[in-house]
Amino acid sequence: MSKANQTPENKFSVRKLLSHPVMSYLLAILAAFVASGIFIALMGYDPFKAFQTILVTSFRTPNGFIQTLLKWVPLTLLALAFTVPYATMKFNIGGEGQLLMGAIGATIAGILLKGLPPILMVPAVLLAGTLAGAIWGFIPGWLLYRYKINEILTTVLLNFVTFALVNYIATEVYPNPEVGHPTTIRIATEGWLPMLVDNPPLHSGLILMVMVAIGVYAFTNRSTRGYELVATGANPRAAGVFGINVPVMFMMGLVIGGALAGLAGGIEVAGIQHHLIEGMHSNFKILGIIIGLIAKGSSLAVPFVAFFIAVMEVGASAMQRTLNIPIEMVYIVEALILLFVLLVDVVRRK
Amino acid sequence: MEQNEVILQMVDICKAFDGNQALDHVNFELGAREIHGLLGGNGAGKTTLMNVLYGLYKQDSGDILLKGKKLRIASPRDAIRNGIGMVHQHFLQINNWSVVQNVVLGSSVQNKWTMNLAPEVAKLQKLCDRFAIDIDLQVEVGELPMGTRQKVEILKALYRGVDILILDEPTTNLTPQEVDALFVSLKVMVDEGLSIVFITHKLREVLSVCDRITLLRNGKNVTCMPRSEANEETLVRGMVGEDLNVKDSVIFSKEIREGTKIDEVVTPVLEVKGLRHVTEQGIERLKDVTFSIHPGEIFGIAGVAGNGQLELAETLVGVQSKAGGTIKYNGRELNMVTAELLQQGLTYIPEDRLGDGYLPKVNVAQNLILGAQHKQPYSKNGFIDWRKVFEASWEMIKEYNIKTSGPKDTAANLSGGNIQRVMIARAFSHVGDSLMLAHCPTRGLDIPSMDFVYKKLLARKMQGYATLLISEDLDELLLLCDRIGVMYRGELVGILHRSQFDKYEIGRMMSGVKS
Repeated sequence: MSKANQTPENKFSVRKLLSHPVMSYLLAILAAFVASGIFIALMGYDPFKAFQTILVTSFRTPNGFIQTLLKWVPLTLLALAFTVPYATMKFNIGGEGQLLMGAIGATIAGILLKGLPPILMVPAVLLAGTLAGAIWGFIPGWLLYRYKINEILTTVLLNFVTFALVNYIATEVYPNPEVGHPTTIRIATEGWLPMLVDNPPLHSGLILMVMVAIGVYAFTNRSTRGYELVATGANPRAAGVFGINVPVMFMMGLVIGGALAGLAGGIEVAGIQHHLIEGMHSNFKILGIIIGLIAKGSSLAVPFVAFFIAVMEVGASAMQRTLNIPIEMVYIVEALILLFVLLVDVVRRK
Repeated sequence: MEQNEVILQMVDICKAFDGNQALDHVNFELGAREIHGLLGGNGAGKTTLMNVLYGLYKQDSGDILLKGKKLRIASPRDAIRNGIGMVHQHFLQINNWSVVQNVVLGSSVQNKWTMNLAPEVAKLQKLCDRFAIDIDLQVEVGELPMGTRQKVEILKALYRGVDILILDEPTTNLTPQEVDALFVSLKVMVDEGLSIVFITHKLREVLSVCDRITLLRNGKNVTCMPRSEANEETLVRGMVGEDLNVKDSVIFSKEIREGTKIDEVVTPVLEVKGLRHVTEQGIERLKDVTFSIHPGEIFGIAGVAGNGQLELAETLVGVQSKAGGTIKYNGRELNMVTAELLQQGLTYIPEDRLGDGYLPKVNVAQNLILGAQHKQPYSKNGFIDWRKVFEASWEMIKEYNIKTSGPKDTAANLSGGNIQRVMIARAFSHVGDSLMLAHCPTRGLDIPSMDFVYKKLLARKMQGYATLLISEDLDELLLLCDRIGVMYRGELVGILHRSQFDKYEIGRMMSGVKS
């Protein structure tokens, strides 16, 4: 073996430091905190107190920690819903809509299947959510496969369809007139996810999420199909020349993505809300995409990044309550982290 | 040839790319009215050196002296202003423009508002007469054969008044006849006062046309000698260095090999009958192509690039669909998709390695198993056994001398020649594959690596496997093939058996003359 890659001793230790993935993340987070800290200070608040609240709230009380775990579940699934299609270089921007579809599917199943024992009912509710999400991923996938319609466009537009659909179901099909806000009636209690901790409540969707995350990692990084998915994303033309059915891979990525987001919606309904409520996606927005991008599409990194973002999200509410700093500040920090992660890549390449 | 006055000197030129020393204190000089051969294998630094002279790269250190005066060349425009012109190996022309329009494009024509080209035509005609270039100036360049299109490029440089002309591998896409014609016009140009740098990796060419030869290897000067002192032996040694044992090499072997005798009773591995391919725009790219390949045979396809070779390869591997005809593989008629063909033991080395064969963003190991991801031992029950893949990858990296830090290295870090080695390693590592389709498999490889590929191809043949070798390098085909089919405008103009091989005959067929 010829020792070819004799990298000349690096002159710049900074570059060496940056080349370690964990270091580059830490640096990006630090830079984001410094940059946003300046703004917080300019707004007349104490940035150190603010960051302390953001980072510590999750770990100070059991309630805070469980809140964080409850956020972590859908955020991880939504981020995976982005990264799986992203492996083929297709962009699933419709995680929100797919989550809502999952919630719709789970709600309808939970209402219609009333009377089944929990052992059947819980899987049925979650499965209905997953399937509904998968269908919402299949539509853009099929439009892409059949008519080469850009998936970014279709996934975004389908979001708006789901917003209307949620409204319709919550006001016309299964409305709950006792609530002022468009909300459906509750699903049967047999369809509720079993609890891990009763007070503060923590549902067993957490375990399911961890298993699914491991499964997704095994699929994308270990399985032959996953290899084909990654190969397609790396160079669709070459993948096609070497026998991979590229359009099917694109579709598969989007369907799996939709299913994962749908499962997140199902877990939200079966574990927390127990009914469909208009605007329930607003807790997540496009955080799935941001997490997926910060993780650079790695399904191994997603759960860790998602946990960190969950910590920040929980901290953000506390920060608003105790320090009166607008919650949007945390979105700025999150966006800055993403920007700095991308920037570190650029610097490293130079 | 008597020593002429030196008009150009390049002194101690150094140039590095990403820490890779492409030129290491290289010296070069060009005499007036001289054809100076710049010889070397791939990666020797020939083109890089001339790109420095032409202002495409800036040297890290070293000087360029033109007629004794130090010169700073920052761009091709500077180079042309100083009378230095270059014709690249792959040049760009606007197909539906006339020769005149292409030549004038980008130059500072006086009457640019009226685009009255009559005076320019007169000027060009004079140049053509003076340098004995025979071109119809009003014809659209798209209709011209490769050899003539190259003359258009030379004319471009002459029109801009250069007196030093650099030709980068000018013979790559020419038939042997066109090569001879080019050499004649080079002599005329030199007689008319031009000085020419002729970049090539082909020994015979420098020996037949150059006055002096500078030999580079690995970015360093090896030698510079007048042709009268040069012989094949010393140049070969200088080109390949100690990496290749010339005695056992395929390239320099003196032994005459006979073509395989084809046993007509045995079913051919591949039997193609009346194959047609029509593009989406309705252009017929393959017309009634018929040939067969038998076990233990290397069947070559010769032709100037763009005469349907790519379409033939892609139709055979199922990437493009055929418009008619039959393909039989091991006696069974095929209408298969690529994946099945790969399963059935077809290996493919695509011509466009970056576009059609490489996954830059993933690691080297993932590239090495592309197309074999469903095969044992890499894949088991739908999962990839990465440990096996990495073990196999290490072996391939060693055997094929791929320069990389290991299987986990990002594929984008590899250089062109090493990417080609990945293609080769991948294709040859799946043992027992009955048919290989190799399209320009040695493009971008240095001589020892080329020789290694040739040995591998011949070994396959000895084991009784069939190979379809599509190449633009006629010498490569003549060296290896049992039979050669010549393609011209999508047609197979003729098939020659090894005993009938004749460079000029093939050259005639490459320009459309049927045998």
